[in-house]
Amino acid sequence: MNRQVQTFNELNRVIHEPGRLMIVALLFAVDRSDFLYLQHETEMNKGTLSGHLSRLEEAGYVEILKTYRGKVPQTLLCLTVAGRKAFEEYRRKLKEAL
Amino acid sequence: MDQVESLLKRPRAYDNIDGVAELVFGFMCLGFSLIAWLQLHTPESSVWNQMYTFLIYTAAMISIIHYGSKAIKTRITYRRTGFVEYRHDKYWVAVGIAAVVSALVPVGLYLAVRRHWEVLTPICLVGLALAALYIPVARTVRWKWATFSVMVAGPLAISALPADLVGAFANHMDLTSAIPAKAVGAYWLTFVVDGTALMISGGRSFWLYLRHTQAPAKETSEPASSDVQ
Repeated sequence: MNRQVQTFNELNRVIHEPGRLMIVALLFAVDRSDFLYLQHETEMNKGTLSGHLSRLEEAGYVEILKTYRGKVPQTLLCLTVAGRKAFEEYRRKLKEAL
Repeated sequence: MDQVESLLKRPRAYDNIDGVAELVFGFMCLGFSLIAWLQLHTPESSVWNQMYTFLIYTAAMISIIHYGSKAIKTRITYRRTGFVEYRHDKYWVAVGIAAVVSALVPVGLYLAVRRHWEVLTPICLVGLALAALYIPVARTVRWKWATFSVMVAGPLAISALPADLVGAFANHMDLTSAIPAKAVGAYWLTFVVDGTALMISGGRSFWLYLRHTQAPAKETSEPASSDVQ
């Protein structure tokens, strides 16, 4: 098989999905953010974003912390160490493939 | 691939989505210009020329900047478009840039005096370096290039002004033999021009942000407890 095609096949499927790629890229650049920030930046609706986050949490890439800011509930999100490594690996393979 | 890289830059741009970063730097430039003006245009024995006044003034300015920007972020920005906590390594990059720019001021003057250059040339270069630091901000919104143009045109215009006129802004007072009045006046003018440009640009960004965003209704601002578990 062509090496380039093989590299494409090796791309992390969890991260490669466009919605999840946006989430992981945004979280990679920060320490942590809340749900509202991701909703604003990705322009996804609450349900879709929630679904993607659940998938990323299952994969062990995102940590979700439910807390309060004063009396207002806040959902804080950050990439785990595994999530950061997976994204760095994904970027490296994508560069190779392109 | 380019789209992934541009996504990685978005959180950094978000820091100034409300114009607060520009307002902070603009306020700082104008604040220091004001105290410098008072020091230069009042007698040496006046309260404005005392070290304790300068320290109290600086502490008050830092407090206003710290608590003011924090209040805007927590009461407006985080409620409307979300909260972001940046990685701490980025702060050291900002501190490093600030240190380099601060070092440029005395180094520029030293070189100018030592090599008998026209003293306004290095001051103009410092002004242009400040403008260069603004480029990442200007790239986020097209109209901010107008602010960048003012920050570039300002130092160039100041360096072209007659030395006597520039020196008048410093009350024709030489700080030392190495720092003539025209150098003080040129620095003062550069900070006033940059501070005013940043305050106007930041104020406009803040106004546009307030106009185009609103806090989501409480029931939709967060996912239900069954979601994201």
